[in-house]
Amino acid sequence: MLLYMLGLTAALVVGILVGLILRNRKRAGLDKVTFAVIIVLIFSLGFSIGSNNELLNALPRVGVSAIVITLLAIGFSVLFVRAAGKVVKLT
Amino acid sequence: MIKYVLLTLGVGALAGYLSNNLGNKPIVSFISDYAFNISLLVLLFVMGASFGVDKESVAKIRRAGFRILIVPFAVALGSILGGLVGGLILGIDLVASAAVSAGYGWYTLAGPLIGQLFGTEWGALGFVANFLRELLTITAISFWVKLGKYAPIACGGATSMDTTLPIIVRYSGSEALITAFSSGFTLSMVAPFSIIAIASLK
Repeated sequence: MLLYMLGLTAALVVGILVGLILRNRKRAGLDKVTFAVIIVLIFSLGFSIGSNNELLNALPRVGVSAIVITLLAIGFSVLFVRAAGKVVKLT
Repeated sequence: MIKYVLLTLGVGALAGYLSNNLGNKPIVSFISDYAFNISLLVLLFVMGASFGVDKESVAKIRRAGFRILIVPFAVALGSILGGLVGGLILGIDLVASAAVSAGYGWYTLAGPLIGQLFGTEWGALGFVANFLRELLTITAISFWVKLGKYAPIACGGATSMDTTLPIIVRYSGSEALITAFSSGFTLSMVAPFSIIAIASLK
């Protein structure tokens, strides 16, 4: 798990450095590439959800409680982040 | 964009279901491990690069500095409070309900860990509730972003460093990259400890 997080951080940092170095050149059309990779990512995310029988079996059993807890957790998170953003003047 | 994402998610889930239940394990682990990790690494690199070339975004993050670290803490407090209120409404064990929401969307952690600490049924709830957090972040992103630039990050919780990051950046803009990643990173580090700490209250 730590290796995974370090790997992601390394990819991000190297990407930012490359971006900073290439700053003065013309921007390459990366949007289409990004979109294609997002589709691969989302497909594999869907794939791991669909192939997870444990998750699918639990869904109907605990679904309603899960929705209530999740919506409230999201709601308060959004509210708190908005409030915190105002306090520290996050633009 | 979002309709292709939803379609792909659905097709992916169906494909995963079929191939898992028709017994092709190597394909399952290939797609859910390799394809997932490699596409994520590529995305982080590309998003990092498009952030780096964007002078305005870099300047904004520099100005904000360490203040962006308030975001994950607000998300952690909001999530746990949401879990408590949810527990009250549902009339279930408040400590367990708070622990469920302290997974911050990381369901592969929250499911097994809560199962171990509170029992199988709570594990199932931890699993599904946190899975729904990720699912709702992706599927309702165009709604969340109306509540503010940081709302999708708040919604994504721990997942805003990986699965939901590209979608968040698409909707909140390149300047949200660092805030989203650092928030997801911090919440991922904190999630196991907050679940265990909450469990020690029972």
